[in-house]
Amino acid sequence: MKYLMLHSVDHGSSPEAEARATPEALDAWITEMTARGLLLDGSKLQPISDATTVRAPEGRTVVTDGPFAETKEQVAGYDVIDCPDLDSAVAVAAAHPTTHIGSIEVRAFAPGMPDPVVPAAPAPGKYRYLMLVCADLRRAMAAAAADPEGFAADRERETTAGAGVEETNDDVDVWIENAGSRRLYGWELEFPDRAVTVRRVDDRVVTTDGPFAETKEQIAGYDLLECDDLDDAIAIATSHPVAGGGVLELRPLRAS
Amino acid sequence: MTSEPGAAVALTFTEGWGRLVAGLIAWCGDWDLAEECAQEAFAAALVAWPRDGVPAAPLAWLTTVARNRARDRLRRRTTEGAKLALVGADQSDEVAPVADEDIPDERLRLIFTCCHPALPLPARTALTLRTLCGLTSAEIARAFLVTESTMDKRLVRARAKIKHAGIPYRVPPPELWHERVEGVLAVLYLMFNEGYAASSGESVLRVDVSAEAIRLTRSLSELLPGEPEVTALLALMLLTDARRPARVRGGRVVPLGEQDRSLWSADAIAEGAALLEGREPPWGPYAVQARIALCHDAAPTPADTDWATIGELYTLLPATPVTELNRAVAVSMTHGPAAALELVDALADELAGYYLHAATRADLQARLGRLDEAAASLALAIEQAPTGAERRLLRERLEGLGGP
Repeated sequence: MKYLMLHSVDHGSSPEAEARATPEALDAWITEMTARGLLLDGSKLQPISDATTVRAPEGRTVVTDGPFAETKEQVAGYDVIDCPDLDSAVAVAAAHPTTHIGSIEVRAFAPGMPDPVVPAAPAPGKYRYLMLVCADLRRAMAAAAADPEGFAADRERETTAGAGVEETNDDVDVWIENAGSRRLYGWELEFPDRAVTVRRVDDRVVTTDGPFAETKEQIAGYDLLECDDLDDAIAIATSHPVAGGGVLELRPLRAS
Repeated sequence: MTSEPGAAVALTFTEGWGRLVAGLIAWCGDWDLAEECAQEAFAAALVAWPRDGVPAAPLAWLTTVARNRARDRLRRRTTEGAKLALVGADQSDEVAPVADEDIPDERLRLIFTCCHPALPLPARTALTLRTLCGLTSAEIARAFLVTESTMDKRLVRARAKIKHAGIPYRVPPPELWHERVEGVLAVLYLMFNEGYAASSGESVLRVDVSAEAIRLTRSLSELLPGEPEVTALLALMLLTDARRPARVRGGRVVPLGEQDRSLWSADAIAEGAALLEGREPPWGPYAVQARIALCHDAAPTPADTDWATIGELYTLLPATPVTELNRAVAVSMTHGPAAALELVDALADELAGYYLHAATRADLQARLGRLDEAAASLALAIEQAPTGAERRLLRERLEGLGGP
């Protein structure tokens, strides 16, 4: 099973806690998880002041500064891991230094995701963006909870998790073709109500149900883009089928 | 030493700062470096020009000096060896014999980048004033009533975002052209209004920022001669700014109808009117607003105002609650206060909290002889007014009603 780890850093953490989240501790985690064959991709993101959101209600492009939701906790980085089950994914997250200074949301990818192939560095002059695909998922989550088998079958057939949004896999396929080599990879996530959030309280690992931020719009999936510049990324985001009813957040990656 | 070279430096600063910085950013791709070196070049000019005379091509002189400073800095930064190659092989300190006209004007690229929609709106105006007009962050902070450190942070964040997020330094391609020009004009108009009517605080007029907005819009209309809305915005600014000398008297705002019209700038009105001449409809929102301003400016006395035309012009604007409120004022002059009050009352929900809504209601109620209602509306407007000068004006009106 593949899982996404979304890191959220709490800037109010104690100096002792921060002292444990050193670059060396991060390097050690990366080295270990890579050696164990669990870590497939990951990066720090530039701060939210570098975020840009894109919507396209009725086909009109609306570009705004900032993240999709104004919450205290914001995505600061991500990792893609491959683990046999949720317990082992939580254990991998619990070993990450972010737990000393924030929390990690662990969320399974929808089934069938291929291994991401991501060159270590972007091509010269290109920028990488994590495009978070966000939508109001409440209706779809309620529907899925009421009829789990029917939802699974539906998803197999045509509808994706970008619910409340008239979107089909065909639209997504057209979008993927249009994005071409500017899209490195991307996948849909399981609903946020199946997320587990890992943090430390008094140096003990604590896991809680659900995502780290309760917002109207939730992250439904993401794509990793490599573009000429922000306008190029905005153009791709605008043409995404979710742009009509949801929102796309573009987060530049931070060079390691 | 005479003051002439000093004055020449000041003049070149006003006229050439934006071009110099824009050219330097295009050349080295580093905003901070470009600005620092532009500043140093002007500092060098203050020393050299009084000593050696003002060069024949001041901008070329400044560009050469700034580029040499940039090279020195890059050489010192050992980690940036790669950039050294980019900066090119020209290592001579000689001032190249180039005419100013031969230096490409890169300001369009700069203004489109400063006004990019992915930047926060306050940062767009601040960055434009800093980078294109050369205002210091302290000056911009004063104009926008924030602390200097807040303004510094705003500028630093905006530059960081341009760099990190890959906001392109370019004139947008055709498919983005319309939307981006609109975005630039919105920033310039916001800047002008910030300067013309302070959105908060005691001081009403912030002349510098308005003057910079006019100057930038004038440059933009020269750089984009085919864009009617750019010219229209320049006309709108000139026709509004023409009334500036009469707008405040003894620390209080003077309403349009009571202003001493002999103080209005005839030159600005003539220039604004000439810019609108011969432009056939359909007009964009700035052209319509400029024509409304011209109707006011062209009337020798308030009674001569062509309210019928103003009322018609308002219907050409996108119907927002604020344009509807303004249209109601014109309607009151042609169809009477009762018809206008109906329009204004219909906007109550949408404009709740907006002091001009309450003030306009008060005015119409007073004209209908409903003085108690007018007094209550004025009291509300005073509560909601953003500046001390506006509040003083409203209090005087309240006293004029014979109220408390």
